[in-house]
Parts: sequence; C-alpha cells; structure tokens
Amino acid sequence: MGNPVTATRETWGPIAQGMALTLKHFTQMIVARDKTSVTVQYPEERREQYPRTRWRHALTRHEDGLEKCIGCSLCAGACPARCIYVEAAENSDERRFSPGERFAARYEINMLRCIFCGYCQEACPTGAITLRKDFELADHHRADFLYTKQMLLEPTPAPGAAG
Amino acid sequence: MNDSKLVNVTINGVPLQVPKGERIIESARRAGIDIPYFCYHPRLSMENGANCRMCLVEMAMPRTGPDGTVTLAKHPKPQTACSLPADEGMVVETETEAIVKARRGVLEFLLINHPLDCPVCDRGGECPLQNNTLHYGAGASRYIEAKRHYPKAYPLSEHVVLDRERCIQCARCTRFTQDISGDAQLDFLKRGADTQIGTFNAAAFSSLFSGNTIEICPVGALTSRDYRFRARPWDLATQKSICTECSNGCSIKLDHRDGLVLRVNGRVNEAVNEEWTCDRGKFGLPASISGERLTAPLLRDGDRFREVTWDVALGVVAEKLQAAGKQAAVLAGSKLANEDLYALQALCRGGLGSVRYDYRMGTQSSEARDAAAMLFGPNPAPTGIAGLEASPWTLVVGSDLAVEHPIVFLRLRKSWRFGKSKALEMVSSSAPANTHVGAFAWSSVRYADRGLPESLRSACSLLLAEMPGLTATPEIRAWAATGTPPADDTASRRMATALSTGPGTILVGEGALSGPDWREVLVALGHLAGLTGSTGSVNRLVSGCNDRGAEALGFGDWQPGTAGILAGAASGATPALWIAGADPVTQYHDPQVAIAALEQASFVVVSDIKLTATARMADVVLPSCSVAERDGTLTNVEGRVQRFWKAFEPRGSASPDWLIAARLLQRLGKPSVWFGWQDVLADMRSHVAAFGGVSLDALEKDGAMLVAPQVVD
Ligand code: SF4
Ligand code: SF4
Ligand code: SF4
Ligand code: SF4
Ligand code: FES
Repeated sequence: MGNPVTATRETWGPIAQGMALTLKHFTQMIVARDKTSVTVQYPEERREQYPRTRWRHALTRHEDGLEKCIGCSLCAGACPARCIYVEAAENSDERRFSPGERFAARYEINMLRCIFCGYCQEACPTGAITLRKDFELADHHRADFLYTKQMLLEPTPAPGAAG
Repeated sequence: MNDSKLVNVTINGVPLQVPKGERIIESARRAGIDIPYFCYHPRLSMENGANCRMCLVEMAMPRTGPDGTVTLAKHPKPQTACSLPADEGMVVETETEAIVKARRGVLEFLLINHPLDCPVCDRGGECPLQNNTLHYGAGASRYIEAKRHYPKAYPLSEHVVLDRERCIQCARCTRFTQDISGDAQLDFLKRGADTQIGTFNAAAFSSLFSGNTIEICPVGALTSRDYRFRARPWDLATQKSICTECSNGCSIKLDHRDGLVLRVNGRVNEAVNEEWTCDRGKFGLPASISGERLTAPLLRDGDRFREVTWDVALGVVAEKLQAAGKQAAVLAGSKLANEDLYALQALCRGGLGSVRYDYRMGTQSSEARDAAAMLFGPNPAPTGIAGLEASPWTLVVGSDLAVEHPIVFLRLRKSWRFGKSKALEMVSSSAPANTHVGAFAWSSVRYADRGLPESLRSACSLLLAEMPGLTATPEIRAWAATGTPPADDTASRRMATALSTGPGTILVGEGALSGPDWREVLVALGHLAGLTGSTGSVNRLVSGCNDRGAEALGFGDWQPGTAGILAGAASGATPALWIAGADPVTQYHDPQVAIAALEQASFVVVSDIKLTATARMADVVLPSCSVAERDGTLTNVEGRVQRFWKAFEPRGSASPDWLIAARLLQRLGKPSVWFGWQDVLADMRSHVAAFGGVSLDALEKDGAMLVAPQVVD
C-alpha cells in the first residue's frame, strides 16, 4: 500500500505519541506522586463521594434504638419504580419496634429495579429511609438484590453509645 | 320531601332545573359542581345533620318589593348546601371569596384537635378530611396549643376500632345506627371539645351492620380490626364482586393484595344492597376464603393424603364415576356459581345418565317446595328486595330476618322508616324477647313451639272478624273457626287491622316450610294470602348463597334428594359420590347421618377451597376456586343473576368446579364445548328457560332477573 515510508510513519507515529503521553503520566505518578493524578487505587482506596450522592438505602433508628420506620408505605407509594414492599403490623408494649402504633413487619427493596431517585427519602414522614453513599452493590444472584428489612436496618446502637 | 315539580335555580351562574326541595348539594353534584362535605350522606337523615359546615355556599332568593319590583335578596350568612332545599329563583354561589375563606376556617377548626397522624391512619390515602384539606384548606396550621388526647385504638367491638382523637363529630356513624340498622348503638357522649361517640355504658358495639360505619366515617376514627395496618389504599387492587355469605348477594368490592382479600367494601346496587353490607359478609368473606387453602389434588394413601397431578386425580375420579354410571351422585354446595351447577348437572345427566344430584342440606323437601310453587306461583320471590318499599304491609314468618337475610331486613326497615310499610312478624316464643324486626314492627305475634299454623289460622279468623264483608268460601270460614279460639291479645288484633288494609307482602323463611308441619303451614299461609289478596306476593326466601340459582336450574328436583344420596352412599347403592363445595359433615341438618354415610361410602371425591371435615374423609380431594379467583354468576334470593369478576390467580393449580366437570366430561368421552365460563353461561341461557333473559350487558350492570321458572312436573 503505497509508499512504505509513509505507511510506517502513519502507523508508528501515533503509537509513539500515545506511549509518550502514557510515559509522561507514569513518570509523573511514580516520581512526583502529584495531586493531578485521577486514578485511585480501588479497592484499597475509595474516592470520597459527593455529599448528596444517593446510593444504598438504610433504615435509620432513633437515638433510643427504636426504628424510625412506621410502616406507612408512603415510600412505596412515591417510588416510581414500584420496588418497595412494606407490610405493617401493630406495636404492642411487649413487642415494640417503633414509637407509636405501627411498625414495618416487612420492608423490602428490589435493588435491581431501584433507580436511586431518592423519592422514597423525600416521601418518608419520619426520615427513616435514607440513601447513603455505599455504592458497592454488585452481587452474583438476582435474589440477592432483594434487600430485606434486616439488611437495610442500621445496627442497634451499642448500649451507652447514644447520648 | 322532593316534589316532582321542577324549579329554576342558578348555581355559579349555571341555570338548572331541579326538583323542588332537592338539596342544593345534590343539584350541584349533578351539574358537576364540587361542593366539599363531610357529614352529608344521601341515605342518612338530616336529624343531627348539617353539623360539619364544610358545604357552605352563598345564597340569594328573589324578593318582590311593595312596588312589585323583584330584587335578589342575598342571605346575610352562608348556608349549608346539604340542608338547603332548592326553590324557585334561588341563586347559589359556591366559589366566592367569602366561601373560600369560610371553608378554610371550617377546616382549620376541624383540625384543631385532629392528630394528623395520617401516616399510620388506615384512612390515609382515601380520607375525605385529607382530600378536602388538600383542596380547600390552608397550607399550614396556625395552631400551636396542645391538642386533646385520648388513648388510641379503643376497641368499640370485635370488629370496630375507635380513635377518638380523629373524630370530627359528623354524626354519620350515629345516624347510621339510628336510621339504617336501627340498633341505635352509637351516640354522642359528653359535650364541647370532649364530645365523643360511644356506646351506652361502654358496652360492646353489637350490631349486625357495624362495618358500614367504618366505610362512611369521613376520617380514620372508625377503622376495622381485621384490616388494621394490613395495607394502604395504594397497595391494594380492587375488583368488583358479589358476596357469597348469604343469599342476598350484595354487590361488593374486594380489596386485595398478593392474592389475599384484605377487606370488603359495599358497592352501589340500588336494586339489592343500595350501598350497605352486613358484618357477616364484610368480615366473614375475607376470613372464609383466606387461611389454609388447597393447592393441588390429593389422593388418599392409607390414612394420609398424597399430592398428585390433576391427570392422575381426574383419571381416578373419571374411572370411578364411569363405573358407577347412573348410580353416581353429586352433592353441590350453596356457594357454587350458576355455571358450576349447570356443568355438574351436565356431567350427571349427559355424562353419566344419573339424576342423583342435589344441593339441599336442610330438612325442606322438594314436595314442600313444589307444593308452595303450585299454591303461590312459580316465582318464589315475586316482590323482590326493592319491591318491599312499595308494600303497605309485610308479614315475616319463619325467619330471623336480620340474621338470615340482612339486606332484605334493611329494605323492610327502610320502607317502615319512610312510613310506607307496616312490618308484621310471627315469631316463635323461643326467639329472644327483642327480635330485630320486632323493634319496629307494627305487630309482633308470638306462637308456641310448632304453633305457626295455629297462629296463621288465628290471624285469619281475626281478619274475618275485622272485615265481615270479606269474600271467603264457607270452607275457609269453617277452617278459620276450628282449632283453638284466636288469641285475643293486642298484638294479634293490631296485626289483623294491618292485614285488613288490602294486599301486602308475605316473606316466608326457609324454616317455616322445613318442619314436619309444613303442610299445615302451607294451607294456613294459602288462606291468609287468599283472604288478604296477597297470593301473588308470597316470597319464599332461600338461605344459601346460590340456592335460588340451584332451584332455577332444577338442581334438587329429582329423587332421591340429599337424604337418599347419603343413604345410597352408606348402603353401597351409590358407588361414587362427588361433593362439590359442600361440607355435609358440618352443614347437613343431621351431621351424624352424613358422617356415617361418608364413613361407609366406597368412593367419595370432594372439591373445595379448603380441607373441610368432609374433605378429610374423601378418597380424592380436588382444589377449587373461591369467588375471588374466578369469573361467574350467582343468583340471589330475589332471582337476580349477578356477575362476579376474577380478582387474582387461583392458588396452586386450583380450578373452578365447572372446569373440573368439563374435564371429567371429556374423560368420559362426552366433551363439552366450554372454553370459558361464558360458554357455560351461553349454554345455560339457551337450555334453561329461567336463564333465557340473562344478557351479558345486564350482568355488567345491576344483574339480570331470572325468568320465573316453570314448575317441573
Ligand atoms: S430511590 Fe427511587 S426508585 Fe429507589 S426505592 Fe427510592 S423511590 Fe424507589
Ligand atoms: S420508610 Fe418512611 S415512608 Fe417508608 S414505610 Fe417507613 S416510615 Fe413510611
Ligand atoms: S383521619 Fe384522615 S386526616 Fe386524619 S389522620 Fe387519618 S388520614 Fe389523616
Ligand atoms: S366516628 Fe367518624 S362517622 Fe362517627 S362522628 Fe366521628 S367522624 Fe363522624
Ligand atoms: S355537609 Fe353540610 S354541614 Fe356537613
């Protein structure tokens, strides 16, 4: 194909240019460890998320350890992806999960369908459901994306921790 | 109240012609003008009404001055549209600045003590208070003072939970118990800000119709114990249906979620239940179809059951039925749809050549039924439910109407309430002192055990004494004069005065013609009906959900009847018995006979929705569908064929009974041409004269009446 000299230049020229750029950044990173580098060493390092990032949901608790969620289904009603399932039940003095009369006996989110719009958080009258910064949601099986209440619920604060 | 005379009114500048005296809120609604309201309910009286003040409007009336000029005189204060009768020349404004402000004020006032705990309130999402506040209220509350507090969730009764904080004192519930159900259980206690509803002495709210108050309460003050916290309105899907708990066949709505009926609400059907339901249906229906259900065919394996495929189960059943041939028998339950009964009938007669099928579990014989049909005409319920409203008197015999026929009872009470009808009752002295009908009856006559014929005879003879000019054959006069002399008490004499006013209606409960004395009862009823000119309006009420449909199909017309079938099963004369949706062990009038028969029977197949006591004794058990899981039609007590719609998929591999019959027919080598329930209905319409007039169009609306069935000779 035509002039061998031109062909060689057209083939090897851009490669050399590209490699030069790579080499430049490589040396900068190795030698200067400079702040302009964009790569982080995931998973050893994790980039700080923006303050309003919306990722994995959490069901939060009051300071006394009671669940904030009252099982009102408003999040499920607001959810455009219809991916929240809530089944409520009645608190009793012997079995109390949340303040007041009602708590969520079942609370499930289908993470495969969630679009992380945050409407659920917006709708929640008690601030129970929140979207947090935990973005590592990959999993192996479809069924594992059905997050149950136990998975979503914050751990009970250690005794004496609140306060 | 409404004159048929039309008057001209103007609402928001729209000229309308409405009946004189019609409430403006109704006129506006018809014209598509929205007037918000809480306490108004078209079926409740205005006594204690017009109390919420939400429906305020401005009103002006034309006034003729001394010089003859007509000016429009505006009423200085806003008026409540729910109590404002339309009159000639009335001018109404619903959206003036003053009204907008007044509504906002009313809502602020109503919300002063309201807890606004919408997120945990069962009414949230379908709450008139929420809706009106959203549309007509202020955006924020100015109220910062402490609200009134009461303990939450006070149990008024087993079914009804009261939250006094949420109550807006609209008096809908109290008026319901006073006007509609008549038990007058609820009323206001205390006064001022402490006003609350409650029962006398804090007794349980005991009513056969309490569930309706939950539906009409415009806030979440009255809620259902069973439905409590089970779902929010947006979690539910709703399907139209028919209640199967008694023969009245109320139109209902099934609210369901995940294949479970969570609640039943009334659906408007002016011809039947208006909009009400009874507690048996409202709370009993969801319970009767939930719980442990059959999901796959079961085959007996020693003293246990083994799950098998339909193929295996139907193979066994078909083989046994075929072998039994003419001797095979079918017992059908009262909740089976018309289509099921027709298909079962086709299986027996067409497939097996057998006429051994019946549905009756009581003691009434075909003889009694046919004799009644000869005497009073082939239509067992010529008056119908709505027809009661026009009857000058209605005599109830042999039935605790409110319990057996709650909706017929409500209609009877309604016609009494509007002064159109006198309720008369003949009741056994063993019945409780305060019967439901007795509470408003013109006359309630008691008779001793087995004394109904005597009591009827005594009524006839008092009637003859009351009206000497009455045309009566000497035989009747002689008959009336025999026996014990007429009871000369006030109740009997009052009854005679009512009976003497001309033709009325007689409601005969199933019990009246089920005893050994049915012949005497029938004769006496015949004479009484004849003397009062009411022969054409004697209504024989049936109790089971679709008993009327079974009767119209001729399902129990053949010998040997249920007793004969059971006896055959015991003696081996019935080698194969299919019990479809029935539970003779608990339902047959003599359970011991049923149990003995099932123990001896050589082959019994039971199809039902649950593993009933009868099913436990069967050789094969087939899972069938409840009313929520399939389509079909049911015939109610007045002969109204009504459609119900499938709400969700059946459990497991359950199948409606008509389809089981169709599959068996196929195995017997006599395939049917039914691909869906409509095909069965179509077949039924062309082969059974009674169903001839049932059009699909009518089924989509209020249902279609049976053509009066012909007596089978
Ligand atoms: S973030 Fe959006 S899509 Fe996801 S659960 Fe919430 S409302 Fe639904
Ligand atoms: S998370 Fe919030 S909105 Fe959802 S059910 Fe619980 S309290 Fe209601
Ligand atoms: S009654 Fe209506 S307004 Fe009151 S708490 Fe319940 S939903 Fe909210
Ligand atoms: S309980 Fe409901 S229906 Fe009864 S008065 Fe109060 S708000 Fe009205
Ligand atoms: S609706 Fe008219 S005052 Fe309540």
